[in-house]
Amino acid sequence: MASAAGVLPTAMPVPCPARPAVSPVAWLVAPALLLFVVFFVMPFGVMALLSVLSGNPVQVPEVELTWRHYARFLGDDLYSDALWATLRIGAVTTAAALLTGYPLAHWMARLKSRLGHALLLMAVIAPMLTGIVVRTFAWMTILQDKGAINTTLIGLGLIDKPLPLMYNEFGTVVALVHIYVPFMVLTLTGVIGRIDERLEQAARSLGASRLRAFWEVTLPLSMPGIFAGSLLVFALSISAYVTPFLMGGTNVLTLPMLIYQQVSSSFNLGFAGALGVILLTVSLVVVVAYNHVLARLSGQEGLT
Amino acid sequence: MTTPRASADIRLDGVSKTFDGRVRAVDDVSLAIEPGEFFSLLGPSGCGKTTTLRIIAGFEAPDSGRIHVGGTDITDVPVHRRDMGMVFQSYALFPHRTVAENVAFGLRMRGVHRNVISARVYEALEQVALVGYEQRRPAQLSGGQQQRVALARAIVIRPSVLLCDEPLGALDRKLRQSMQFELKQLQKELGVTLVFVTHDQEEALAMSDRIAVMNAGRLEQVGAPTEIYDRPRTRFVADFIGEINLFEGSWQGGRFTMRDGRVLPAAADGARSGAGAVAVRPEKARIVAPADAAIAGRIESANFLGGQVLYRIAAAGDRHLLAKETNVGAAVRPIGAEVGLSWNAADAVVLED
Repeated sequence: MASAAGVLPTAMPVPCPARPAVSPVAWLVAPALLLFVVFFVMPFGVMALLSVLSGNPVQVPEVELTWRHYARFLGDDLYSDALWATLRIGAVTTAAALLTGYPLAHWMARLKSRLGHALLLMAVIAPMLTGIVVRTFAWMTILQDKGAINTTLIGLGLIDKPLPLMYNEFGTVVALVHIYVPFMVLTLTGVIGRIDERLEQAARSLGASRLRAFWEVTLPLSMPGIFAGSLLVFALSISAYVTPFLMGGTNVLTLPMLIYQQVSSSFNLGFAGALGVILLTVSLVVVVAYNHVLARLSGQEGLT
Repeated sequence: MTTPRASADIRLDGVSKTFDGRVRAVDDVSLAIEPGEFFSLLGPSGCGKTTTLRIIAGFEAPDSGRIHVGGTDITDVPVHRRDMGMVFQSYALFPHRTVAENVAFGLRMRGVHRNVISARVYEALEQVALVGYEQRRPAQLSGGQQQRVALARAIVIRPSVLLCDEPLGALDRKLRQSMQFELKQLQKELGVTLVFVTHDQEEALAMSDRIAVMNAGRLEQVGAPTEIYDRPRTRFVADFIGEINLFEGSWQGGRFTMRDGRVLPAAADGARSGAGAVAVRPEKARIVAPADAAIAGRIESANFLGGQVLYRIAAAGDRHLLAKETNVGAAVRPIGAEVGLSWNAADAVVLED
């Protein structure tokens, strides 16, 4: 090109054909993108479509658009109660996972010993290697009326009747927290570990006690981790099916359980679709609001 | 503009600190730092200078020894009650807060009233020439500006002692020199006692009232820059500060004899005897004809430094000597020339250790 430029006496900029600025590495996301489209976007589209149709277009060709399924949701308190129960269980599980996970994550992130760190990491990850059903059954043996806690307390004469530890939202939340707290811990450990310890030291040299320095510096700077961890745990627990089913019994009805009923016993795909759309929409609103609150609290522009 | 504030003296008595039960980071260090003094802890990395500073700040507790500031024993006082300003090597600015919020932090921790805070933040930013940057975030500032914010944040609380851990280490050479000047100026203006940790000997010589040279956790020598440079007491200090020609030999009746039997010009009292060493700075050594020299050799290289020329001279016994001549317009001596070195006996430093 250098010699060609010398040949052209008029120093006109040679127009170059604009090459698409796509790195060849970008093609590596193709499989993930394909999976996302085939297994998320398309099923969700079908579900959203079914939720506004009067019937299944494959079986009944002359379907029409209808808000019937959404009207049904609004018309019966049972459904909105299930939505609130789902969100409540999700929120309480997330809060409890955050409160139990944060101190552990902070400890892990600040641990100097590599061996100690590895052992803690093992302890956090090991439960994830057993299936959700197994861990839920384990909780049942602990929490049920004839379980470990109630038998012990009755045996000691502290109580007469077994405490209602299971077949309610309490038991559901306990098991969900145990199952999903590793996601919180791992997310938080990564973020806290990247916060420079000297920031806290600087705060202390300026007159902040250890607790105050944590409150003013480390906590606000770990907000992105708190947000990401909460998002994970919240998303996992509002969509949990097995644990609420086993731990909640007939007293707990969440949207995933309702959706399962509609699909498997009522064969009402349209209503199941409407429930799915409602759950997704409401949780998105909750998540966006949460992001705003955390960003405001930490004094940062935006978290993610 | 500036309010006079009390500066305090610092006294360390036999302070020791061991890490992991093995490494003696600080080994029986005793120091007395005067009020208002610019005091440097100088040494290679791992010599214990930063640990000593962190012990004064309260981030590390000494295994033994006491620390007094302004006559009060503060050994057991926690960091946040020590009332010292500290500037960290990497500045450690709070990334989630603005410049003004960073500077206001220490005042907020002291429960100072909001109106007073804004006035004092302004004053501190004025002192470091950063007025107008209040609403910026640290990430939007250059290294030099971040350095000033860190300084403003430390001085706004009007500490009696200011601790600086290699505060200029991350700046480029030109900026570092102007910051050296400004920091020194500010310190004199505030009258604050300043403890400055550095591994850069030029920086320490240029800025300090006194320097403590540290090696392997111990104090090698404490003194004014001229004293440290002209009268190093130990081989380590002589070698660490600047360039020097070191001669091993022995003393007998006030005469210094090298191992090969040559007598070098050096002055010590007659009582000194046994093995010893003397050291001669390159700029104190004169290049003379081989016949008049204390030690002879051949010019191996000549580095023109602008104001001076540094000659490297190969002498007998695979020994290399350095000599500096001031550039007064004479031609640079040719490489390979047979020359010799000589110096005044008074310019030969007698090393104790």
